[in-house]
Amino acid sequence: MEEIINVITQLTSGADIAAAKSLIERSGLSFEEGFDELFGIHEAGELIAVGARAGNILKMLAIEPSHQGGSIVGELVTTLVMRGFDAGFDTFFIYTKPQYATTFEAMNFNLLASQEKVVLLEYGNGLKRWLTANSEAVRPGVNGAVVVNCNPFSFGHRYLIESAARQVDNLYVFIVREDRSLFPFDVRFRLVREGVRDISNVILLDTSNYIVSSATFPTYFLKKDDPVARIQMELDVTLFASRIAPFFGITRRFVGTEPCCKLTDGYNDAMRRILPVYGIEFVEIERKQASSGVISASRVRELIGRNELSQLNEYVPASTLAFLLSAEAEPIRKQLQLSRSNP
Amino acid sequence: MKLQKRGQAGTMQSSDLMVVVEPADELVIEIESTVKKQFEHLIRAKLESVLAKHGATAGRISVSDRGALDYAIEARLEAALQRAGGLS
Repeated sequence: MEEIINVITQLTSGADIAAAKSLIERSGLSFEEGFDELFGIHEAGELIAVGARAGNILKMLAIEPSHQGGSIVGELVTTLVMRGFDAGFDTFFIYTKPQYATTFEAMNFNLLASQEKVVLLEYGNGLKRWLTANSEAVRPGVNGAVVVNCNPFSFGHRYLIESAARQVDNLYVFIVREDRSLFPFDVRFRLVREGVRDISNVILLDTSNYIVSSATFPTYFLKKDDPVARIQMELDVTLFASRIAPFFGITRRFVGTEPCCKLTDGYNDAMRRILPVYGIEFVEIERKQASSGVISASRVRELIGRNELSQLNEYVPASTLAFLLSAEAEPIRKQLQLSRSNP
Repeated sequence: MKLQKRGQAGTMQSSDLMVVVEPADELVIEIESTVKKQFEHLIRAKLESVLAKHGATAGRISVSDRGALDYAIEARLEAALQRAGGLS
């Protein structure tokens, strides 16, 4: 057989990207903007394989059918992972069709969760490392969990956590690690810690990449309700139920009822369907009301945006209020007021 | 020998391995392999002997292997150590 040397290159020109788009779409995938790097392999002037990296997510891997089954996929994935290492990531995710799972498993990717149409795999063993790093937080007994973003921590979160904590021996509060919300992670975490300090059976953890993250549930941050979001929710909930909950001995997951956001309501619905399959009880807790309606973090942000700070004490505990009024929070207040005047 | 930074070498191709080494307080070896069941102990022994040869007593050594032979394991690990500033 004639030896052909393929060279992998970064695709940046308009013509290369158009060829990549065509190959990706012919492979039944959709071309999405918003990647960090796009690589391709040419042979005799033709683009025969492409793959992209967006942060720690590998996506849009497509290979011409005539070139599948060889070393090309390994070459593409090696390059994407190496580049990702250089960018500072140490674990990588890929969504693919179930029939390709074994291809990636042969490259030492681990299956995290599967759904009817899509599987999520990880390279780099991050889940195992994250769980091991938290093994000191594992407690015996009847354990529950809530997953919260707390952007920022309000009486609504306090009520949910307090009510849930009364129903279990230990309550794990997972705070969304991803920094894609207005309040940065360290502030959100700190305000939760201060806000639940007096509840002795609460254990605070961050969600790393594994619950409501840009790996497991990217559309959460876009607040978009579509079929893709539904698939992601199912993968996210399955990963929680099959890998995370058993590690911490979690048998109940608590959520607040969701009257406003359709996407969160859809996520609750996925939990209602999937959690019991894994022996986890799904418990909805009625939202706490203020005199003027439901307490939610979005209402808190709205009040700041309108500079109606005097009303905030109806919605947030003293610890959060002190932060919201502090000099440290000035950039956040400015941003909310600005986005209100220029929506 | 002390690792200064992260170093990596190798590929994810069949019969090769990818090695990532990084500074750590103690020596940790993590092995993922498509032939883990049969050969993990041999891969580990090979890694340990190469690390010992270079006096590496601390660092996180992560390997993902696709059935590489001994000499490939040695070469990839040495390249990664060198890139991590761990070989003189």
